[in-house]
Parts: sequence; C-alpha cells; structure tokens
Amino acid sequence: MKVLITVLVAVLLVARIAFYIRRRRQGAERKAAAVEPPVPAVRTGRPHPQLHRIEHAFGDVGLVAGREIRERVRGRIFRVGTIIMLVGVGAAVVIPTIHSGSGPTPQRVGVVGGLSSDGRQVVAASAKANDDTVTLVNESSTSHAKADLRAGRVDAVIVDSDEILLDQPVNASTSSADSGLVNQVAQYLGVLRAYREAGLSASQVERINKYQPVAVSSLVSGSKGTNLSKGTSVIGMVLLFFMLTQYCTWILIGVMQEKSSRVVEVLLAVVRPIQLLGGKVLGIGAVALGQAALIVAFALAVGAAVGSNLLHGAAPLALLSELLWLVLGYGFYCWVYAAAGSTAERQDQVQTLALPLSLPILFGYIYSISVVSSGNANAFFKVLAFLPPTAPFCMSALVGLGQVTWWQFVLSALISVGATAGVALFAARIYRRAVLRTGSRVRLRELLRPAGSS
Amino acid sequence: MGALLQLEGLRRSYGPVVALDDLSFEVPSGQVVGFLGPNGAGKTTTMRAIFGLTDLDAGEVTWNSAPVGQAERRRFGYMPEERGLYPGMLVGEQVEYLGRLHGLSATTAADAAAVWMERLEIGQRRDAKVEQLSHGNQQRVQLAAALVHEPELLVLDEPLSGLDPTGIEAIGRVLVDRARAGCCVLISSHQLDLVEELCDRVTIIDHGRLVASGTVDELATSGPRRLEVRIEGERSADWARGVPGVTVSEVAGGAARLALDESADSDAVLRAAMAAGRVTEFSFGRRRLSEVFRESLQ
Repeated sequence: MKVLITVLVAVLLVARIAFYIRRRRQGAERKAAAVEPPVPAVRTGRPHPQLHRIEHAFGDVGLVAGREIRERVRGRIFRVGTIIMLVGVGAAVVIPTIHSGSGPTPQRVGVVGGLSSDGRQVVAASAKANDDTVTLVNESSTSHAKADLRAGRVDAVIVDSDEILLDQPVNASTSSADSGLVNQVAQYLGVLRAYREAGLSASQVERINKYQPVAVSSLVSGSKGTNLSKGTSVIGMVLLFFMLTQYCTWILIGVMQEKSSRVVEVLLAVVRPIQLLGGKVLGIGAVALGQAALIVAFALAVGAAVGSNLLHGAAPLALLSELLWLVLGYGFYCWVYAAAGSTAERQDQVQTLALPLSLPILFGYIYSISVVSSGNANAFFKVLAFLPPTAPFCMSALVGLGQVTWWQFVLSALISVGATAGVALFAARIYRRAVLRTGSRVRLRELLRPAGSS
Repeated sequence: MGALLQLEGLRRSYGPVVALDDLSFEVPSGQVVGFLGPNGAGKTTTMRAIFGLTDLDAGEVTWNSAPVGQAERRRFGYMPEERGLYPGMLVGEQVEYLGRLHGLSATTAADAAAVWMERLEIGQRRDAKVEQLSHGNQQRVQLAAALVHEPELLVLDEPLSGLDPTGIEAIGRVLVDRARAGCCVLISSHQLDLVEELCDRVTIIDHGRLVASGTVDELATSGPRRLEVRIEGERSADWARGVPGVTVSEVAGGAARLALDESADSDAVLRAAMAAGRVTEFSFGRRRLSEVFRESLQ
C-alpha cells in the first residue's frame, strides 16, 4: 500500500511540476513574442448548448461561471492532469489485484525419513495459507536430497520432520522456496515436536489444535475501519489534498490575472463584485467537483470490474465522504484564496500569498495521513475534525477509521457550511476593496479600515 | 432631445491626495468629447467613477438626469487604459462574452461580435488568443468589446495610444460614426493633434479640477490671437521676445507661433520680423489645442 501511495504521490507531483514548467515557459514566450503568430488551425468550436442553458439560468453569475468552466476544461493542463490522475487511481486499484491474482506458487518439497499425517496436514495448511501448491517428493537420503536441492529439482527438504534444508538462505532473493511457507512449516513442525516431547495423547493434540482465540473488547466502542478502507481513505486524502490546493490556487491566480490585466475593470463596470467572484468560485468549483466525481466513479467502476479489495467494505463510503469534503473544503478555502488574490497583481506576490494559505491544508493533510496509518485518533485530532480549516482531512480520516458517528459528521459539515458563509462575506468585502486598487500589494490592515478613511 | 451624461461636483481623495476636486462637466449625445489633462490630473478616476469603480466622497453621476445604476451601465461601453481583456481567451469568444454580460443573447452577441470584428479589421483573428495579437490589434479587440452591445455611452481611456496611423484612422472613424449615430463618446488622450481632429468638444482638467471646456472651435477662437511667422534662416524666435504684448507660444518647423494680447501691434511684430531677416510667412491663425491645453494649465 505504501508503494502505491508513493507512486500516486509521485505521479501527481510530476503533473504539478509539468504544470509549473509550462506556466513558466508560457510566461517567457509571452515576453519574447514580438511578432503576431498565425491564427491557430484548430477551431475550438462553439460553447456547448447545455452550458448556455446553465449560464442563462444563473444570469450574470452563470455567465461568469460558464466562462470559467469553458476555459478551465479546455486547458491542456486540466485534460492531461485528469488523465494522469485517472491512470494513477486506476493503477492503485488494479495493481494489487494483479499481484494477488497471479495464481498459486508451485513448491516441490523433498521428504527424508517420511512425514507423519500431522506433518502432512501442517504442510498442506501452510501451503493454503501462503497460496502455494506443494508437491511432496520422497528422498532416499539426505545427500540425495541435497543434490536435488542444488540441481533445483526441489525447493526445500524436510529431514526427519525435524529440520528444513534449503539451497539458499530463506530470505535470499535467489531462493526458490517461498519464505512464508518455509517459516510456517518450520514453526508448526516445531509445535508437533513439542507435543511429542510433552507426551500428549492424540485426543489432547486434537483438542489443542481446535483452540479458539479469546474475545478482545475495549472500553470505547470498537472501530469498524479495516486496513482496506484505511488504504482507500489515504488514497482519497492524497487526491483531496492535490485537488484542494490545485483549485484554490486556480482561484488565487485567476483573480490576480483579472486584476493585473485590468479586465476586472471592464467586468465590474457591468456586474457586481459578488457576482463576479461568485461566478468564478462556482465555475472552478464545478470543474473540481466534476473532475473528482469522474475519478471516484472511475475508481469504483474499475474496482468493481477487477474485483479490487480496495473498494470493499467501508471504502466506497470513505471515498464519497472525501468527495463531499472536497466540496466543503473548496467552499471554505476558495473565498480565502480569492480575497488574497485580489490583493496581488504579480506572480511573485501570488507565491508569497499561497504559502501561508496552504499551511492549514498541509497540516491537516499530513496529520491525517499519520493518524490513518497509526489507526488511532486522539482527542486533539477529533477536535480538528470539527474546525473548518482542518475538517476536510481530519473528518475524512475519522470516516476511514470508522471512528465517527453520523451526527458528528453532519455537525462538522454544518459548522463548515456556517463558517464558509462568514468567510465568504468577509472575503467579498476584501475583494471589493482590493481588486480595483493597483500599484503595490494591498495590505490587509488597509482593507479592514472603515470605508472612506483611505 | 438626445441623451446626456452629467458629472456634478465629483470629489474623491486618497488620503492627502485630492484626485477629484468638485469636478463637473457634461457629455452630450452626438459628439465626441475629448477629455484632457496632464498625468495624475484625475481623468482615469473620473472615468472609473462613471462606472462605479471608484467610491466618490461627494458628487453624482447622472444619465439623462437619473442616477447611474447597474441597469444603465449595461448600456455603456468602457475601455480602460490598459488592456481590459483576458490574455489567454480567444478573441471571438471574448467579445461575445462581454456582449452577453451587457445583456445580449448568445446568438445576438455572436452576430454582433462578428460584425464589429469585421468592421475593425480583426475578423481573421477571431480564433486567436488575445495574447497572440499585436498591440494595435489588441486595441481593436478591446474597442470591439466596448462596442459589441451598441452602447449609448462610450468611455474610452487612451484608445489611440500606441496605434499606427492606420489603426488611428480606423478607430477614429468608428468613434465619429458612433457619435453621429447618437452615442455619447468620451475619450481621453495625450495626442492633442488627434483629439483636435477627432473631437467636437474638449474638457480639460488639472489636479481634479475643471480648467477649460467647450467646443474645439470655441476654445480655438478664444484667448489671445495667434500669429505664425517664418523667417528665412531664423529658428529661435528671439527677435519676437522683446516686442510688447507678444509671447512666443512655440517654435516648430522653422516657424514661430506668437500669442498677441490686446495691447500688441501686429505692425510692430512685422517690423521686428523684417529686421531679423527675410519674412517668408506672416499669417494669423486659430489657437491649436496644444496651446489651449498648455495655457489652461498655466
């Protein structure tokens, strides 16, 4: 699982780096371009009629949102990024299935001095547990068995039910013997030897072999989370992190670009600031939700098709929960990023702003990953699951661990919605006062002064 | 009676800096009004105030005697000084989009965008991104975006800056045509010769205050008389500086333009000129707009 997560993170990082390099290159090309290039041969076509209907239904906000959707979806980075994420998620779902579905490993085990029926049962049970098919081969002597081992005719040899011989050390990569099988057979043969030495009767041995583990209970109600749903939860959280930072950065850069290109003056001459900001947030949010829904649907479909364990049990619920928290997290952070973007009009200012804004996201993400990996959420973590800046990750982690009740989930979501409304009002005020001010970056203190005092 | 934009007693301060100081003037329909002033005079602040982009400390902007709201602004067209366009958006879609924001239906916006882009000679570039266009063509796109909804008021901040003569002629022709069609047109510019040629009226402000306003003819014929004198081999106009009632307005192209006040005697000027050399030109003329501008700011 760790390998898969690492692969997924690496793929997403590569996509981010490619995005960054492309932006830098475009900026340099733009500066260098002195001659008007020819008109591109490919026509992008008219906007989709369905998008027109949506634009019409939402008025000015719909028009702004429609433009955002069209421009973002049309971008090569979005398309390539989506494909990379689909490939990454597909790989995370399919690769474990391929690995577990590669069929039993054939093992030839030589036997010197015979093997009791108990011993044969031990070998058969160990083979089943390790997904091996074992063929027992009678050896006439130890020296003959060693010759077979060296020649590779057998993978392991049981000598007098008291010793296991291998050609290579058990954990060596060149060993043909399944280490799991060897270790398990060695352990159980040792147990059988102990039974013999203790002088237990057959019925006593049988009774011991039918033991049942004692019940394990805890004072706090038990976790329903499984390793599988934890794994799915972590994959979802990685995607949540990348998508949240990606789309909020789009908002930040989009607002900054509208300000620096002065197109915001043309737009605000016609629409109200809240309509422009709302349309942008809605449009990019729709793209984010669409991309996330596509990835989740793709993961569920591929998982169902290949019979992946990653999407069994509570895992789909964890994924859907993360989809919901992507919406809530985006709703909360997009306003903050938009307000910040309205105070900047250069790329370097955006980078300065983006770092502090991403810290709570980064903190929630890293802390949640570590909590999911350990399987234990402490009280502090549970408090963070109710705070809107960290709730998208912490609450998703609790869902993955099965350590949250439905009402706690709903309460956290409601707190997040309420906080989003407050943040939106505040951000709209900052945006209105900052987006038309040019020159040096606008300081927050100046924006919080009462109107007319500037 | 045509439409009328009125600006009444506009005041706006940024801390200790007074951007607009009780500024009042009108933009009548059917005329191109030049809006002049030195850098920092308050022209852009005034234009932004018309569109509600600047909070005024006092004063009011009215359209046909009614306060200007969002519904009225939909019928206005605006072109800010710097490119008010999305650099990465396709030209055609950008013009259509802005048309739709001004209330046009999708079909009407597409048709109108096509018409205006053809008229401004950028029809071939409709599928190019704005950032791929030259400065002049970006200027034309911006004008198309301001005109696509057939506005009743057109406010253009420095629409002619950086254009080649062809671009100036094309845009100038469109502005005059719009004005003749009944539109109110207000343009700011530092290219005074072009403004003189293009505009019917001129309003000059300095430090946020109105310093001169009137038709180009009124301003050209008001103030001291102008005398243009050309003397062979003489380019300094020093000969005129001692003549009573005469000030040297400018010396350009080997000719001296002189401003004569009430007490000045043109015969005395001619004698002084003849004493300086062979006089090849001696003619009375109108005040140029550049002179009106310069003298208004003194």
